[in-house]
Amino acid sequence: MLKRYTGWTLALPATLLVALFLILPVAATIGTTFADAKGVFSPYVTFFSSGFRRTVLWRTLEVSLITTAISLVFGFLTAFVVSRAPGRLKSILIIAAVFPLLTGVVVRSFAWLIILGKNGILNNFLVGIGITDEPFSMLYTQGSVIVAMVYLFTPLMILTLVGVLENIPEDLIQASASLGASPAGTFRQVIFPLAVPGLIVGAVLVFTGSFTSYATPQLLGGERQMMMGTFLYQRAMVNFDWVGASTIAAIMVVITVAVVLAMTRIAKRLNPMTT
Amino acid sequence: MTTRPSPALIAIAALVYVFLVGPLVIVIGASLSDTTYLTFPPQGLSLRWFENIFEITAFRRTIVTSLQLAFLATGLALLIGIPAAYALNRYRIQLPSWLSTVFVLPILVPEIVLGFSLLKSVAVGASFPIFVSLLIGHTLLVLPYCVRVISASLASFDFSIEEAAISLGSPPARTFFTIVLPNVRAGVIAAFILAFITSINDVSTSLFLTGPGISTLPIQILAHVEQFFDPTIASVSVLLMFLTVAVMAIVERTLGLTFLAK
Amino acid sequence: MNGGQTNDNRMTQALDITDLTAHYGSTKVLEDLSLSVGAGELVSLLGASGCGKTTTLRLIAGFLEPTKGAIRLGGRDLTRLPAHKRDIGLVFQNYALFPHLSVLDNVAFGLKQRGVASAEREKRARAMLERVGLSPLADRLPGALSGGQKQRVALARALVIEPPLLMFDEPLSNLDAKLRVDMRVEIRQLQRANGTTSVYVTHDQEEAFSISDRVAIMNAGRIMQFDTPEVLYQRPANAFVARFVGFENLIPMRAVARDGETVTAEAAGGARLSLSQERFGAIPDAFTLATRPDGLAVTSGPGTDGIPATLGLRTYLGRAYQYQCETAAGHLVANGALSTPLEPGGTARLVPVPDQCCVLLEV
Repeated sequence: MLKRYTGWTLALPATLLVALFLILPVAATIGTTFADAKGVFSPYVTFFSSGFRRTVLWRTLEVSLITTAISLVFGFLTAFVVSRAPGRLKSILIIAAVFPLLTGVVVRSFAWLIILGKNGILNNFLVGIGITDEPFSMLYTQGSVIVAMVYLFTPLMILTLVGVLENIPEDLIQASASLGASPAGTFRQVIFPLAVPGLIVGAVLVFTGSFTSYATPQLLGGERQMMMGTFLYQRAMVNFDWVGASTIAAIMVVITVAVVLAMTRIAKRLNPMTT
Repeated sequence: MTTRPSPALIAIAALVYVFLVGPLVIVIGASLSDTTYLTFPPQGLSLRWFENIFEITAFRRTIVTSLQLAFLATGLALLIGIPAAYALNRYRIQLPSWLSTVFVLPILVPEIVLGFSLLKSVAVGASFPIFVSLLIGHTLLVLPYCVRVISASLASFDFSIEEAAISLGSPPARTFFTIVLPNVRAGVIAAFILAFITSINDVSTSLFLTGPGISTLPIQILAHVEQFFDPTIASVSVLLMFLTVAVMAIVERTLGLTFLAK
Repeated sequence: MNGGQTNDNRMTQALDITDLTAHYGSTKVLEDLSLSVGAGELVSLLGASGCGKTTTLRLIAGFLEPTKGAIRLGGRDLTRLPAHKRDIGLVFQNYALFPHLSVLDNVAFGLKQRGVASAEREKRARAMLERVGLSPLADRLPGALSGGQKQRVALARALVIEPPLLMFDEPLSNLDAKLRVDMRVEIRQLQRANGTTSVYVTHDQEEAFSISDRVAIMNAGRIMQFDTPEVLYQRPANAFVARFVGFENLIPMRAVARDGETVTAEAAGGARLSLSQERFGAIPDAFTLATRPDGLAVTSGPGTDGIPATLGLRTYLGRAYQYQCETAAGHLVANGALSTPLEPGGTARLVPVPDQCCVLLEV
């Protein structure tokens, strides 16, 4: 009867690792927010009654949405060009999009410190060509965080969408042309609708990535542009307010899980290839 | 072809690529500068800031820790992830359908939440040593890549080959190593590289688990940036980039990067 | 475009291809191909994969650019026209139905591109679905259809725009055998009813011969012979076409004596045959006699005519026995009567049946 349990035996170590060190600890974190002495929902009442905390949550949503929108537009257009590029150029373009992904978040965020700083490249350039005498302070603004995040996530979007666009059979595009659709018409009526599920997947990746990021808002946003990730760290490691930090963690989990589940379901429904 | 993109689209794509590649070029350039402040284009070429990395004890130590963590976590994740992926494909009928979702959870749960939760439960709650906590965190972090990538290769593996080997008298365990594993080698290599890169660049999970005397390179860089803003950071960033590329190159040399061709 | 108005002149236009040459990179895949398809005619391009038939279709459709040559349809020069302005109905091998559009919207797609108003295009798309018998499925997505249904939608989609030229790219190769036969009858009926000039690409000889007015047999980027199925089947012009249509035995011969219209020819090994020029046309001194297995009768009875052979493997065909034979003229395949089965290893004579033979001018 050993055979009946072979599957379980093989999967057991990995399952145990996830159960013991991910499911239990995260459940415990969320659990503590409902075990507060002041009442079941009191940590949440505290969170949502604080104007500052609401601002942090709202800012995080706003930055993530804007980042998602920008990388969606540019990622899609770029992915379209990449997917239609001739063989060799296409591989080079794909590698050029993969390379930033191999480089860590810290390094890539740091690059924008050099570019956007007071004595950074951009300011030197602007002063140099006489647009301004005084360098702009571009760091620690919502804009600097968004620029860095778009930089961070656009490669991911491009790679996701190149895969999706390449999966659209050339036949369909030719069929569309043979029926009289112009290239723009084919793009609008055939390619775009078929790419929508992929766009949703890409958007979910970018949104959750931005929403839960730490290093980028920390380096480019600082105290002034506190986001959920940096706020969680501050509550936990500077203020030692573990219940407060757990509340932030719980809100992050709920929002990301909800977004992922809802959007993947929509994407699946919209995907005609799977029916 | 009939759907050649318009010049306007090509121009946009070109700009996007400048935007993607430019900052990395700037970091590399800045790391070679002879000045004591960060600047680009570099003024006077020098490798002094690379030498400086190794004069700072904290960097020396964290580079070692990061490499140890990345290799150990990747190895562990492969050790338990390969059997899991095999079970998910070969014994699909025996196992509940939600099991594959379990192995995606580490990606679904925000890393920073994982780090914080491990801090509370494992590092503080169970008083695990710092390195062990970090190792647990990193193994969890990279496990989904191992299971998913190898599952994907196994999905296209024809299990009748395995049955053929067994019918010819090869014991099941040996068959796995002589027949199954060589055929999903590309998946294992891809999983190794993805996992290694994820581990060595991780910030959000490690953030909470580093402690006195033990830190990882990205966390150390983050701490260093907040105090000093000199080209050391650029050079150590470049070093991290090259560590990643070097590992890919070594893996490619020894095992072959055939998966990239697919 | 004229809004897809039914217009008999528009529907019956001749296709003229002259000196068409195409390259993939530096490889020449099509060389100086010329082909005329008469108005209302259905012409098949037949050949093995890589022979250039699909390339020709893609050139006509505008998905490839020729390096040389011209394509004219009716009065229009299509050669440099973008694909979407060519107004050609295309039926794809993999159907190429838009997976995100309903059956009705798939059929109406081409009308929409032609600016036909929404109510009108629905009416016409529904009428076309009625004609192919798919009205009840109008609101389904293509993913929910069977292969045969998908192919009907593809056909309806190509026909509804009333194109002056209809092209089929191996349209039946993904269907099972029974459905293939049904569909090709259906395609032929629709094409006849509309009188639309058509080009049909296939590798299936039976399909091409059964459906076409004329067939172009292609090989290595050239047309080997372009004629009616009857002529191709009975009087292939060269060894390639002869083999293609089943003349398995190609026997090199020499004329050794001429007596009026009768030519006596000799094969290697000395076997002699008398051939009538009234039947085969002028016979040169050196030629090739091509026969199907049916065209060589295996006989062991008395007589001296025919090619002496040693019999090899015998297989049962139902209507005859087939023998693998070794002769002085090489390996030949011949059929013998069911009434007198002969044993492998024995000897016999292979007597050509003039009705089943043809003379190829090349050696």
